[in-house]
Amino acid sequence: MTTFIELVVNGLSVGSVYALIALGFVIIFKATEVVNFAHASLLLVGGYVTAILHDDIGFLPALGAGIATAAVVGALVEFLVLRRATVENHAVLAIVTIGVDIMLTTELTRRIGTEVLTLGDPWQNGIYTIGGVSIAHTRIAALVTAAVLISAFLLAFRYTSWGVAMRAAAEDSETAALMGIRLSRVSLGAWAVAGALAAVAALFLTVFPTPGLDRSTSFAAMKAFPAAILGGLDSTTGALAGGLIIGLTESLVTGYQGDLAFMGRGIGEVAPFLVMLAVLLIRPAGLFGTRELTRV
Amino acid sequence: MNRTVLRSTAALAIVLAAATGCSSKATGGSGGTGSDGVKLGPGVTADKIKVGIVSDLTGVYAPLGKSLTQAQQLYFEEVNAAGGVCGRKVEVVVRDHGYDVQRAMAAYSELQADVVGIPQFIGSPMVTALKGRINSDKMFVVPMAWSTTLLGSESIQVSGTTYDIDMINALDFLTKEKGVEKGDKIGHVYFEGDYGESALHGAKYAAGKLGLPLVEQKIKATDNDMSAQVAALRNAGVKAILMSAGPKQSASLAGVARAKGMMVPIVASNSGFAPQLLQTPAAPALLKDFYLASAGAPIGADLPAQKKLADAYGKKYPGQPRDNAVVNGYTSAAFFTDALKKACTAKDLSRAGIIKAHRSGSTYDDGFGTPMNFSKFDQPATRKTYILRTDAKALGGLVIQRQATESDMAEQYEVPAGS
Amino acid sequence: MSDAAQARQPSAKPASSKPASSNRSAALRRPSVPLAVVGAAVLLAFPFYLDSFWLQTGLFAISAAIGAIGLNLLTGATGQLSMGHAFFLAVGAYGYVFLAADSDTKLTGLGLPTPVAFAGAVVMAGIAGGLFSPIAGRLRGTYLGIASLALIFIGQHVLFNAESVTGGFNGRNVPPLELPGIVFDDSPELVVFNVPLGALERLWFLGLVLLALAAWLARGVLRGRPGRALNTIRDHEVAASVMGVPVARYRAGVFVLSSMYAGTAGALLALIFRRTVPEYFGMFLSLDYLAMIVIGGLGTAAGAVIGAIFVSLLPQLLTRYSDGLPLVAAPGSGGVSPAEASRILYGAAVVAVVLFLPGGLLGLWTRLRMVVTARRAPRTLPRLEKEEQPA
Repeated sequence: MTTFIELVVNGLSVGSVYALIALGFVIIFKATEVVNFAHASLLLVGGYVTAILHDDIGFLPALGAGIATAAVVGALVEFLVLRRATVENHAVLAIVTIGVDIMLTTELTRRIGTEVLTLGDPWQNGIYTIGGVSIAHTRIAALVTAAVLISAFLLAFRYTSWGVAMRAAAEDSETAALMGIRLSRVSLGAWAVAGALAAVAALFLTVFPTPGLDRSTSFAAMKAFPAAILGGLDSTTGALAGGLIIGLTESLVTGYQGDLAFMGRGIGEVAPFLVMLAVLLIRPAGLFGTRELTRV
Repeated sequence: MNRTVLRSTAALAIVLAAATGCSSKATGGSGGTGSDGVKLGPGVTADKIKVGIVSDLTGVYAPLGKSLTQAQQLYFEEVNAAGGVCGRKVEVVVRDHGYDVQRAMAAYSELQADVVGIPQFIGSPMVTALKGRINSDKMFVVPMAWSTTLLGSESIQVSGTTYDIDMINALDFLTKEKGVEKGDKIGHVYFEGDYGESALHGAKYAAGKLGLPLVEQKIKATDNDMSAQVAALRNAGVKAILMSAGPKQSASLAGVARAKGMMVPIVASNSGFAPQLLQTPAAPALLKDFYLASAGAPIGADLPAQKKLADAYGKKYPGQPRDNAVVNGYTSAAFFTDALKKACTAKDLSRAGIIKAHRSGSTYDDGFGTPMNFSKFDQPATRKTYILRTDAKALGGLVIQRQATESDMAEQYEVPAGS
Repeated sequence: MSDAAQARQPSAKPASSKPASSNRSAALRRPSVPLAVVGAAVLLAFPFYLDSFWLQTGLFAISAAIGAIGLNLLTGATGQLSMGHAFFLAVGAYGYVFLAADSDTKLTGLGLPTPVAFAGAVVMAGIAGGLFSPIAGRLRGTYLGIASLALIFIGQHVLFNAESVTGGFNGRNVPPLELPGIVFDDSPELVVFNVPLGALERLWFLGLVLLALAAWLARGVLRGRPGRALNTIRDHEVAASVMGVPVARYRAGVFVLSSMYAGTAGALLALIFRRTVPEYFGMFLSLDYLAMIVIGGLGTAAGAVIGAIFVSLLPQLLTRYSDGLPLVAAPGSGGVSPAEASRILYGAAVVAVVLFLPGGLLGLWTRLRMVVTARRAPRTLPRLEKEEQPA
């Protein structure tokens, strides 16, 4: 039983980090209808800046700098690349972000080189033990931070003028533009927010029990793909649900992989995608996504 | 129109037939004998010997590749400063495949006709994929991977032990010195693929002999958080953990286990540790009862050859980590060159001649603490494994816990060469 | 040449009523015959001159071109984003090995005659595509793209675990293809014009034949009725179904066809590799294929071929000629190694093409040709041509 509880808490915690990444995805998709494959490199930017600065300026300022840099890089990608692209086809725009990702990731992994960088977080390897169940401090911190950020974002989305503008743009961009909403600002803002969220996620993907930031950290961002799709690409609630489902699935399947041996070893990695396919078969637009209605 | 087609086709056919005569690929003219009476092969000219390095300098194994490559470049520079091999300068050609099979194949094809051999080829998927061609080319290759799949081929020389031998000796160490007894459960966390599976094969064998039930946990190279594995192992109540994965996974495993109060000894395969990890928050956990099973003595060991290498490397590449890969790369280049020298004495620097020279010797000892025997290509070059212990103060982060030992189990063990 | 240039004019006009993309390809559909013969001869002469490194790189490009044509049918012409292309390549590669190899103690195989195995592998890839159609038929655009990403992860999981068929992590040896009269292997020896033709040289000819077939078939599909139907589905699905195009059937059909192209490419790749390893068929391979069709030009066979050549050759050229030793600049100094430089350039090329060459490299080529032709024969070119130029 303790194992089960531990796995669930770990799954929820990792899932909430995935939710942060998936939320960034969804925000970008809502604002610009682009699938951002460069998300992994935004994550790496944030983590890298935090890692190299924390020794000199302390953890929190370094984290702030990391978040700000990732936001700026996100905005720059929108401003320098996506805004200039004249193609209509959204698949092509998605492929542009692959190009951006390759460039950024190559440069960052070159800089990281052979190091394993630590982010200088205050939790280190502390652990709470309650009735035999032990949970790392970092896990709790991730859960709390993600919960705060996601609720703040959902509130902002509902009540601030930025949120309203964004929802309007997602609903019907032409009408929104006619109503005086500057679409370019909306999408710039979306990319910046997504970058910032990715930087926060980078922190929690590289702290204990993971040894630190290195070149393979960006692979973790891949997990957010099934999370975002499973919840519905245009639904912020969906990103949250999707992230948690993927986190839980991964944690439980890995934890009990001994009992699932008939599915082959290492099934924990594949399980999120199987869940995603199953959901898509029943609900092609994800759990909370809006079904696309075509008007002629 | 038709006539144009015909005419141009005919003209071209004639040109083509005539021109292939000048193709450099036309048969004839290879090998030969140098003025010093030495039979020459690909990669060898009157004043130069070309060796190839196919490494991973940009992919997941870049930290390993960088240390190996720099150490080997250092070695060949020293060789050249001392007059070269067979009166010829050694020229090193480095190719990077970024751990991609296709690029490794392209690199091999490029080097195929130009180099005498490859003293460093990273990645067992890459070497396995090229095994057939390496054999038919008789290219002398030292793969930087230690799985049993790479044994059983005359031109491929795995340096030191294979992973299964290390694990057998590790279990011997655990039962003799760490109080593990018959009936105790042992956890084994291993990578998918031949690294992990080789190690698992050895662990299963020894665990069976010793009556230790094995709890297996297979992971992928992308898994960085070992919480779930530790939970499963703790649940099973294991008394010791074997770890055949990457350094990061070791760090995570040790970190989580120690933080949860699980104090059982951990023994990792030789690829399961990097000194850089002792600068991370995982350091305290890695310094507690954490061991490494390795065929080579650590770079900080008290051997004159090791000290000399450590100094030279530190001087040439200041600030670069001095890890076990440095020793490994250097010694591999050394026995590779030794084969060249022997082949030179036998006046045969053709590919077949080099391999014959390499396989001819009895015991090879370069003073780095790992005597090896290369005469049987379906057997590992040695069955002795050092057990190393982490130490924050030591160079390379490791000191010797138990001297190189060949356990009885390891001696009787039949190595599944080629698989 | 001038008569050839004039011969091109009349057929340009009927094409102008079609959408711009097919128009661009129309300009390339009339290769002047002597030029084609010269081109074919040069291609056929390569094995007599190129060393094995370039032959192998060229063969990778040929196989990539076949796969990319398939993806372009799906993504370029029909607008269905697929990130699972590498999976179907794997089905082709492993399918061939499984069908052609003999069983032994560890691995099972059917030991069929190799040409049958090759065809069977292509069919298997098609069936795999058909099995995915319940999902492919229901999902659109991005959803389909990421759902097909699942294929890669599931596929690799199977490749690693179904050891008796795939050989697991270490893969399997690929039996050489044997056609009546020729074996695609290094032995028995074959010497033509004094040049020994090994496995790579022989495969080169096979690759060229397969590529020509693949391109010809794709052009047939794209130029004919199905092509127009596919383009209409891409541009407006509802309109297509209103016009009587059986949308679901076409979508499933093109998915199967594209998978078969991938299967062909995969089986050819297996023959080139001589060993299949699961590691190779990952996500990055799929992304490379997407990059190929975007760089080359969406929606045409020629675009796919150009893109495939570009993507396959660029890294090799850079690593080979940026002056060898990647480490010479690197230790400690943190310089950019050739491998990294080629990655960065590759990424930049993808971005630059989308930003500055909306029609891809093929579009650029078409525009250049129009400029040249315009200079050469200014009077025969009416203003109409200008409208045809891509913006």
